[in-house]
Amino acid sequence: MAGPALSEPLSELELKQLIACHECDLLLRKPDAAAGERVECPRCGYELYTHRAQVVRRSMALVLAALLLYVPANFLPIMQLNLLGQATEDTVWTGVLGLYNSGMQSVAVVVFLCSMAVPLLKLLCQFAVLLSICLDIGRSYGLLLYRIYHHMREWGMLEVYLMGILVAIVKLIDLADLSIGLGLLCFVALLLVQVWLEVTMSPHQIWEALSGEDAHAGD
Amino acid sequence: MRAIDAGLLICHECHQLNPQQPGSDKQFCTRCGGHLHARRPNSLVRTWALLLTAAVLYIPANLLPIMTVNSLGKGQSDTIMSGVIELVNYGMLPIAAVVFIASIVVPTFKLVGIALLLYSVQRHQPMSARQRVLMYRFIEWIGRWSMLDIFVIAILVAVVNFGSLASIVPGYGATAFASVVVLTMLAALTFDPRLIWDNTDSDDHHE
Repeated sequence: MAGPALSEPLSELELKQLIACHECDLLLRKPDAAAGERVECPRCGYELYTHRAQVVRRSMALVLAALLLYVPANFLPIMQLNLLGQATEDTVWTGVLGLYNSGMQSVAVVVFLCSMAVPLLKLLCQFAVLLSICLDIGRSYGLLLYRIYHHMREWGMLEVYLMGILVAIVKLIDLADLSIGLGLLCFVALLLVQVWLEVTMSPHQIWEALSGEDAHAGD
Repeated sequence: MRAIDAGLLICHECHQLNPQQPGSDKQFCTRCGGHLHARRPNSLVRTWALLLTAAVLYIPANLLPIMTVNSLGKGQSDTIMSGVIELVNYGMLPIAAVVFIASIVVPTFKLVGIALLLYSVQRHQPMSARQRVLMYRFIEWIGRWSMLDIFVIAILVAVVNFGSLASIVPGYGATAFASVVVLTMLAALTFDPRLIWDNTDSDDHHE
């Protein structure tokens, strides 16, 4: 991906023609990427960007779907447990409350952030950014929110939580009468939509559309 | 050639290139307004601090019980390791393997791996940059999976709540363990992977 060996050295090219790898700081001539093409750093293999078609419209549909799934996924019962006639229910929210009420406030806060707050805030940031691109309003807020989104990315852990649900089910299945609730279905759906959204919403195109460098970056 | 050699700064947040302005301490990205640094400030010191704190908390995280199962007046405390052993005794090997990897292998690997990266950058060790970068990416990607045990505890505490018949109470090992996971994730974030490449000569081949 180093490009043809043209005569001018890199330092004399214009800024627009250059790109640097975010992970190893290698300076490159910016390659032209067609739709669906993935550009990688030739030195360290980091994905520089992927060009996707219809980014804004597709992402918008996925964000709306994810926001609709959010409430049932977090507040409908994931599983019910029956023991000698007594029944208890588990939702993502009661998990947080249970920890909080048993004196583990700090852990409860971490679980709340990673499984509920950050995933919701991420979706809201993405929604606001897409709205700002679609309606062409509040671009400076859009840029700020998209920066915040990138800082939160690591901390949303829906897929880890799903694995936690599986482990809990395996631990409980022999001990008591366990039934799976509708909440689990919604949770899995939310997770899938969210992963799909992260793949679709190519950051490089969103930044260009937000800053107005390329009005058609999000098409 | 590195961007820094051409007098260009890459924005941490939006990856935009900005020409370096000589003589100004604080520079902001022309596109997104983020702070610009050639390298993350004090990356090595901050990463060491976070890593050492995590290493200290790693001890209570593994020794203290993460939860206590009370059933008909009897209480049984579980540490991280005893939870894994119990799963093995039940014959649930695949799940036991997942929990073992997420709660024991990954935190240990992260502590050792980040320490190794820091050491290799500071001592200019002739390790392959590519290997180190693969290790860094793996550490960054896998870190979040250690939260698994914390989420399992949250679910179990909520669902096994039958009063004196059976209940589960979280222990202080869980607090220590959650802190280790968060601190090692922060350590991976503060470490600047570009430092790995700064003391190798391998960039000449790609100009």
